[in-house]
Order: sequence, then structure tokens, then C-alpha cells
Amino acid sequence: MTFLLPTLAEPQHFSLAEKLLFAALVLASALLFWRRFGVILDKILKSKKDPGFHLFPIGERIRDFVWEVVLQAKVIRQRPAAGLSHAFVFWAFCAFVLVTLNHGAQVFGFGFLNPAGTIGRFYFWFAAVFALACAVGILALFVRRFLIRPRWLGEKLSWESGFIALLIFVLMVTYLAGFFVAGTGTSIRVLWWLHTLSLLIFLPIIPHTKHLHLLLSPVTVFLSRGSFSRIPPLSGDEDFGLVAGADLTRLVSLQAYSCVECGRCTEHCPAANTGKLLNPKAIVLGLRDYLNHCGPSSEEPLLGKYNSQQAAFQCTTCGACEFQCPVGIEHLPILVGLRRGAVNTGAWQDTYGSKLFLALERGSNALGISPAERDKFIARQELPLFDGTQEYCLWLGCMGSYDPRGREIVADLARVMNFLGTSYGVLRKEKCTGDPVRRLGNDLLFQQLAEENLKNLAQNKVKKIVSICPHCVRTIQEDWKEYGTPPEIEHHSEFLARHADRLPRQPLQDKVAFHDPCYLGRYRNVYDEPRAVAALAGELVEAPRNHERSFCCGAGGGLAFLGEETGDRVSNVRAAELVATGAQTIAAACPFCNSMFRDALAAGGEGAPQLLDIAQIAARGLPPIGPDSSGMDSNGMGGSGI
Amino acid sequence: MKIIVAIKQVPDRDSQIRIDPSGKWIDESDLQYAMNESDAHALEEGLLLKEKHGGEVVVVSAGPESVGTTIREALAKGADRAIHVVADELGTLDALGVARLLAAALKDENPDLILAGLQSEDLGLGQTGVILAELLGLPHASLILQVEKTDTGFSVKRELEEGWFQTIELPTPAVLTIQSGGNKLRYATLMGIKRAKTKEVRRLAAAEIAVDSTPVAVLQQVALPRKQKSTQLLAGTAKEAAAALVEKLRFEVRVL
Repeated sequence: MTFLLPTLAEPQHFSLAEKLLFAALVLASALLFWRRFGVILDKILKSKKDPGFHLFPIGERIRDFVWEVVLQAKVIRQRPAAGLSHAFVFWAFCAFVLVTLNHGAQVFGFGFLNPAGTIGRFYFWFAAVFALACAVGILALFVRRFLIRPRWLGEKLSWESGFIALLIFVLMVTYLAGFFVAGTGTSIRVLWWLHTLSLLIFLPIIPHTKHLHLLLSPVTVFLSRGSFSRIPPLSGDEDFGLVAGADLTRLVSLQAYSCVECGRCTEHCPAANTGKLLNPKAIVLGLRDYLNHCGPSSEEPLLGKYNSQQAAFQCTTCGACEFQCPVGIEHLPILVGLRRGAVNTGAWQDTYGSKLFLALERGSNALGISPAERDKFIARQELPLFDGTQEYCLWLGCMGSYDPRGREIVADLARVMNFLGTSYGVLRKEKCTGDPVRRLGNDLLFQQLAEENLKNLAQNKVKKIVSICPHCVRTIQEDWKEYGTPPEIEHHSEFLARHADRLPRQPLQDKVAFHDPCYLGRYRNVYDEPRAVAALAGELVEAPRNHERSFCCGAGGGLAFLGEETGDRVSNVRAAELVATGAQTIAAACPFCNSMFRDALAAGGEGAPQLLDIAQIAARGLPPIGPDSSGMDSNGMGGSGI
Repeated sequence: MKIIVAIKQVPDRDSQIRIDPSGKWIDESDLQYAMNESDAHALEEGLLLKEKHGGEVVVVSAGPESVGTTIREALAKGADRAIHVVADELGTLDALGVARLLAAALKDENPDLILAGLQSEDLGLGQTGVILAELLGLPHASLILQVEKTDTGFSVKRELEEGWFQTIELPTPAVLTIQSGGNKLRYATLMGIKRAKTKEVRRLAAAEIAVDSTPVAVLQQVALPRKQKSTQLLAGTAKEAAAALVEKLRFEVRVL
């Protein structure tokens, strides 16, 4: 077998001049590398320590590292062609670590891999397979970048990327060619030096370009904050979020330098795709620029010259960027951090924003309606009050308490729970969970709302909550943890899915398109449960962007309260996608999505599909209501007083 | 410029109001409190003037310990220091009594401008600010939407009936009572709350301020508005309902 495979040729002898030249070049290359890399490392290490950061549980970190870095799973899964090409390059680099060490060592006679020996022969061939895959991969990436040119890579062609691709290609070709030349001639010497020079030129380029990700991103992925959109606690009396350089934490700085500028965040961003100023990639690169020019102890505001306040407040916090990012950048703590800096210091002045904050400073809900209206709704719907004996506390949320459509959803969920015989009760008093102010960066209000709610729930001895609103669910379960121990909570899709086999299927031939709410899908990883409920109404069809790639409705991040958007409305874009599926029914699972699509579909005119929450779908198949439960009749909803 | 803003803590609009057994006051046990709305606008006007012309904003408030939260809110929004006239039985005083307490508390302050809300959301007397002006012997104007500083004093915009406005000039010092809605309120910030912790709050016990606070107006009784449910739904077709409506308007309400 071995005689069929050519052996890798290596130069047999290096003259003293060659040895000295090689040593000098290595030293020069390393110095040039360190001159830049040292500066970057210094900026990262001089940044503030991350409050609330723990290395544990380390098992999860190792698992994520293997999945995302070693196996390149995220890179491949979300962009298969480009991802696989990238994976080939990455795996080849890993395989080449030993080859390259041996390559340098052999100059001084310390080569440890013998091309003629069993291990050496095997390893060089093993590396050759990767080299071939890498050469093909880098060629494919070159074609994509320079000929296909997807728009999220930016309008400007990056010549440095072309040059790097060329270097990588030369590295692989000069290695592979070594199998086809003799070990004694000039050709192998030329190949060897070409390979060496490519390497030594590549090294100092790394810290000067986005290829820095090759060193930093494995660290970034390993040191993630541990869960999706985890907003770090503020530390001490002088921490108001990301205001200036001194507020940049090590993780933020590390992430800013890790960005590989692939533009996946921009490709999926609802703001960037509807003509707004916000571009998540530009935010990260803006921070990098800031670090380069001002550094981590500067007083220069982070929002101003390097990033725009207007852009930061256009984020719906849908999290598509953070979900997509292959190098471990956590965009949400950054964007929310910038907003915290602007709101906690009063720098953000917005008519709608102030109105929302003032409504929640004095009142109980984001809609600014008197709680007496909630009492009236509860009485009219005959919703039982929670008294500690029921299994569930039915959390209404602002939309379920005050929004006419939200109230319909609550009423229908109550009907289904009655039908299933599940006991539940609603609280006499409820305040906004603080979701919109949390995402807008108002820590003062968020803390007040979280603490008051936690106290109220504890006084009422609530153990288990079910809610129609994914925003309430997320905020109660995750964000409140900073201020206490919230009760167990689930979204009504999870509750309904568990009982779906007891709910009557509807004899309809309708097609149903389910829209994944960001705060249920990406934030909570719940995709199948709402579909199981939506399927009661007919055959499920999918919009082109679904599951973890779902496109936002435009309401999240407090934006539902901030007035008209610039550019196209996100809700219109998404509603058009849902309508294009040809479904007769659009199923939603979030009262905010519902309210956004209600308006978008109404603008579409006649023949629009009907829009239903999954609770409404579940309730539609229930047997007709008897005379004794007329309180649940939908007629009771008329004139909701808003 | 030294600006005094008089603020009052009132039951929150969203509170469920109950009458206490004496029938002379409301049950305060389960109430949420907030800053009186027109006082919040007065504070905002004071802060805007300070931001424009420099100086100091001092808030003054009379009331029990619980008023501390409202004072802190004012400090968080940007007031520089505060005077708290600690008085538990404020409900038994009339506007004259409260104004006397405030006037005594402000005795040594020598401000350039005193701002107060037009009227309180709970009692709605609309008197405290103007009586305070009389007690201090200062000129005053009420129903103010905007205040501008001039070389000699202030030019202020007053809101009259039926959409009319009036602009008048006042010398300094003066007392103005501010109408709600003339400016946009700012929201409280975390930074403001943290900074407020170190700001001075001078406490004066009402008993130590030797003023005559014998009420000249005595509160006899408070009562909730009586609920009158007189909505009637007219059944039948549009024609029948219209006929029934005409009949009711003609014979029951007698407006036709």
C-alpha cells in the first residue's frame, strides 16, 4: 500500500545562512505579530472585570466549545455551504499545528515527524486530506466573497481577505506539492521556502485584521455568559451600564475584537432589513473602533462618535444576531448595556420613552390604563381570584389585562382550562413584569417592578404560573432572578401542548402558519409545543423563516411603545411572509405579535387570513358553552373600556 | 438663581380610595402615594430654569414621614436639596395652616422664585401657593404654563378660559402656581436616585415652628361620588330602538 502513495519530500539539509535567515524571519514575524496583538490583549485585560461572571458549570462550557468550535456545528448549520467551506479551513489549520511545528523544527534538525516512518507517513497523509479540503474550501470562500458577494458582507470588497485566501491557498498547495517532488532538488527547497514565507507573512496579519477571530473566538465561545441574552448585574454605585470606556467589561472587549465581520447578525436583523439605522455588526465594530482609538479607560461616551444612540434604540431585542453569531458575540447584553447607559443617566430623551417610564413610575401597567379597568375585566369574565388553593396562578400581563385582543386570549385560555378541569386563579393586583423597561435599560424601574411583583407573589403563596405572554414568562423566570426567587412559570403553549390530546381536533381543512415569537423560540427554545396546539386547526405550513430563524414582529425591546418606526414596518414585512404561505389561519403565541400582525393584516385589506392565538385555536374546538357559563361568552368582551 | 419648589404627596391616582370611619378623612392604611401632578410640572419648570440659567432648586414639602419618598424622587430628578416640614396631622389643617408652615420654613431662604403646583389632586383647594405669596408679601400669578427669565424678573404665560392665553411680567422675587401639562416631565433615573442619597434633606418639626395654625376652614365630611348607573340598552331593530329612544328623550328626560 505504502509504495503506491508518494512520500512527502523535505529539504535534507539547511545551510547556516538559511538557518540564520529563517530564525531572523521567525523573530521578525513574531515581533510584528506581538506589536499589535500585545496591544489588543492589553486593552482586553485592562477592561473592567465582568460582574456576576462564573466559570462554572464548566461542563456546559466544554460541551458548547466542542459543538461550536471543534465541530463547527453552528457555522455549518446556519449557512451550510459557506459553513462547510469554513469548517474545512478550520479543521485543516488544526491538523496543521503538528505539521507546522515539525516544519520549523526540522531547520535545526529537530524534526519529529519522519515522512518515511509509519507515524509520520500516516500523519502527513492525514494532513494532506485536510489540506486538499482546505484548498477547495478557501477557493469556494474566495468565489463567494469576490464573485457572489452576499450583501451582508458589506459593499466594500475586502482585499485583505483576498490576500489571506491567497496565502492559505499557497500554504496548502506548497504542502501538497511536496508529495510530488524529489527530496533533493531545488523544487522542494523553493516549495519549503514559499510555505515558510506564507506562514510568516500570515502571522503578523492576523491581529491586524478580522482573522484575529482565529485566536480569540475559541476563547470568546468558551467564556460566554452562559445563557441567551443574559444581562449582567450592575456593580456598585457608579455602574449605570455601558456609558464610557471604563464601563466596557473584558467580555465586551474580547467580543468586540473577536468579530469576524461575517454579517450573519445583519442578515437576520429585523431593523437592518427594514431600512433602519441599526446594524448589529456595525455596533460591534463601532465598539472595536472605540477601543482602538479611545481605549478601555476613556471618558468619551460610547454612544456618540463611534455608535449611534438612535440605532441602539431601534433594536427589538429579537436576538437573531446573538443566536446566529458564530464567534460567541453576545449582542443583547451589549445593546441593552448601551441603552442602560443612556437611560440610567438620563441621556436618552424620547417623548414615547418618557411616557412609558412615567406610566410605570406611577401606574401599574405599560399601557397607562387604570387598574380599575383590570378589576372590571376580571369581574366581567368571572375569572376566579387566586387564593392559594389553585394549581396555577394565571398571570394576565399588561396585554391580557388591558388590550382587547389580549383579553380575548386570556378568556379563551380560561375556557380551555375550565374544560380541562385545571384549577387556576388570577391575582387581585398585578404589575407589569418590567419587560419593556428591562430591555430599554431602565434599571431603576425594572428593579422596582420586579421587587413589588416578587413580594406580591410571595404574599399570595404562588407556586406555579402560566402566562399567555412570552415576554412575561422570560422576564419572570430569568430577569427577576437578580432580585429574588420567582415561582415556576410556563407559557400557555407548553401547558396546552401537554393536554393537546384531550382537546378536540377541528374538522377543518385549513392551512395554518405558525409564527415563532422571539421570546418563546430563541429565548426559551420552545418550538414544537405551540405547533402541536396550532395543528388542532389544520395542516401546518411554515413561513420561509421559521423556528430559530424566525423574523421578529417588531414589538420587542419596548419598541411596541416607542411610536412609528423609520423605514418599513417590521410587522408588515413579517405579515407579508406569513400571508404568502397561503395559510387561511395565522397562529400566534404572543399578545404583542398578535397586536402587531392585527394592524399589519388590516392594512393588507380584504381576504387576509384570520389571526388567532393558539389559545383561541384550542378554545374554538370546545363544545358549545352552556347557559351557566355565559361569562365566558365572547359577547362579554364588547366595550372593554379602552 | 435660587428656586424653591413646593411639592405635596398625594394618594396615587390608581389607588382604591376608602373613607375612614370618622367620615372626615380617607383611610390611609393601604394607599400608594405619588407626587402631586401639577407639583411635578412645577419641579420640571424649576429644573429647566436652573439648567438654563444656573443656580439651585430647593424643594419644600410638609407632611408625615412617608413624604420622604416623594422628596427623594424630587432630588433624584435633579433638585439640589430639600426641606421637610414633618407634620403628621396635615389633614386637619387648612390651606392657610399649611402655607404658614411653608412660609416659616422658607424664612431664611431668600429665593428668587417660588413655584408651586396649581392645586392638589386630593383636596384641590388651589390656595396654598397664593396664600404663601401673601404671607411672604410677594407678587404672584397662577395658572402658569411657561416661565421665562427677563432682565428685571419673569415673563410668564397664563392659561385662561376657552383657549386664551395671557403673558404677564413679574418682578423678582415672585410666587407662581404652575398648571399641569406646560412642559414634559422627565423620568427618574438610576443615577439620579444614587446621587440623591447624598443630598441634604433638612427636617423641621411642625411643632417647633411657632406658627398659629388654627384652621379657619374646617373639613366637615368627605364622601365618595355616588354611583349612578343609568345606562339603558335599547333592544330591537334600529327603527324600533330609535323610536324608543325618541320616546325616552321626550317623556323621561324631557329634552325634545
